[in-house]
Amino acid sequence: MKGITKQTQSAKPADVVKKWHIIDATDLVVGRMSSIVANILRGKHKPSYTPHVDCGDHVIVINAEKVKFTAGKAAKKVYYKHSGYPGGISGTTADKVLEGRFPERVIEKAVERMIPKGPLGFAQMRALHVFAGTEHPYDGQQPETLDIASMNRKNKVGS
Amino acid sequence: MARVKRGTTTRTKHKRLLVQAKGYYGRRKNTIRVARQAVEKAGQYAYRDRKVKKRAFRAIWIQRINAAVRAEGMTYGVFIHGTKLAGIELDRKVMADLAMNEPAVFSGIIKQAQDALAKA
Repeated sequence: MKGITKQTQSAKPADVVKKWHIIDATDLVVGRMSSIVANILRGKHKPSYTPHVDCGDHVIVINAEKVKFTAGKAAKKVYYKHSGYPGGISGTTADKVLEGRFPERVIEKAVERMIPKGPLGFAQMRALHVFAGTEHPYDGQQPETLDIASMNRKNKVGS
Repeated sequence: MARVKRGTTTRTKHKRLLVQAKGYYGRRKNTIRVARQAVEKAGQYAYRDRKVKKRAFRAIWIQRINAAVRAEGMTYGVFIHGTKLAGIELDRKVMADLAMNEPAVFSGIIKQAQDALAKA
C-alpha cells in the first residue's frame, strides 16, 4: 500500500461536466429562487466543488416576468444607477422593470449580486440564461426541470 | 592584511535577493530596494498562509460534504451529528474524498448516519 496521506483533489476545468437545468419562475419569490440559482451556477451543489474552478451548471429561467416580490417590495425596491455627474443618480422600481422591455433584468441582477465579483464570477454568470415567456433556444441541451416550489413552501407565492 | 572592500559582499547579498524576487511584477524583480521589501513581505505571507492553508482546506472539505449530503435531503450539521452517534471516526478530509470519488461508499456512510439519528 502507498502512503496514507493523499492530497485533496481539485476539479480540473477539462473534466467538469456542465449540466443544464430549467426553472419556471412563475410565482416564485425572486430572492429565494436566485440564491438557489446562484449556488448551482457556482457548482456548490457538487461534491467536487472547487473554489477556483468554474464547476457550475447552466441554468435556464423561463417566465422571468412572472416572478414575485413579497411584502410590497415590487413597488418599494429601487434599482439605482449613477451617471457619474453630480446629482446624476436615478432609479427605477422593481415593478417598472418587470413591466418594461427587459423584465429578465430583475432575476439577472438578483443572481449577479449573489455571485462573487471577479473573472470567475463573470464566467459563471454567462451560464445563466433568463427569458421572459416560455420560449428558449436551448432545447438541444436537454435541460432538466428543477422544481424550486417543492423545496420549501415559502419559495412560491400563494402555495 | 588584505583590504576588504564592501562592494563585494553587498553585491552577493543583492544577487541572492534578486534571485528570490524572480518572476515578480515590474520593479519588484530588478530594483534592490523594492525587491527587498517584496521578498520580506512574501515571506510574511508564506508564514501566515501555511496556517491559513489548513483552515482553507477544512472549509473546502466541509463544502463538499455539505453538497453531497444535501443531495440526500440532510444538512452538514445534522450529518456530522449523525456520524458522531454512529461512531464513525472518518475525518472530513477522507469523507470529502469519498463523496467526490466514491459516491456509493459515501451514501453508505449517510445511511449509517441517518439510522443512528433515527434511533437517537
